[in-house]
Amino acid sequence: MADEQETEAEAEEFHPRGTVAILVMFVLAIIILWGSVYVILLSRGVTV
Amino acid sequence: MSAPNDAKRTLHIDPYEKNWMRISIILVIVFAAAVTVAGFALGFQVPSPEERVDPNNLTGPWENPGLRELSPGVYELYVIGNATTWQFEPRDVEIPVDSTVTIYVTSRDIQHGFKLQDTNINMQILPGQVSKLTHVFEEAGEYPYICTEYCGVGHAAMFGNLTVVEK
Repeated sequence: MADEQETEAEAEEFHPRGTVAILVMFVLAIIILWGSVYVILLSRGVTV
Repeated sequence: MSAPNDAKRTLHIDPYEKNWMRISIILVIVFAAAVTVAGFALGFQVPSPEERVDPNNLTGPWENPGLRELSPGVYELYVIGNATTWQFEPRDVEIPVDSTVTIYVTSRDIQHGFKLQDTNINMQILPGQVSKLTHVFEEAGEYPYICTEYCGVGHAAMFGNLTVVEK
């Protein structure tokens, strides 16, 4: 019983820094790539 | 009388997971807002079905596809995709700079694509349907157009060129 509580406590304190870093890079890549395509769309002028 | 397992019934979500959900929702909202602004505030439109035609009997302006001048600087361009000859009709177009061109496309046979490089014009060409988009050509130069839908063995030969010349 005591061992189980200890394991749960360790899991709560675990901070996955590497995963967070990869996810931050992923989000930034999405924002930059999508933003650049959006700017290209705007720069090419309106289609009606 | 209280339930002994109330604490266990609450849904536990990891703080990292919560933050990831928040970021995802914000991204979706930002993307939707950007698309809405482009479409409704700035006037960017996607091609929509203009009219229905009989692909086996293209009449009216489709009998002689190509460029028509409606008034100085305002043109209509009728383009047909043809998988018998594997080419666009017409294959070469020339207009003066600052022209406003409304492009109508349709197909004689099967599905094709029409993408005009360096512009936002990108349409599906469907037999029986006419699609249209309008663009103002403010810069002189070559604007190649290509078929973007794999339409058969002659697909690679389906291209043309719109030339914008100085007045």
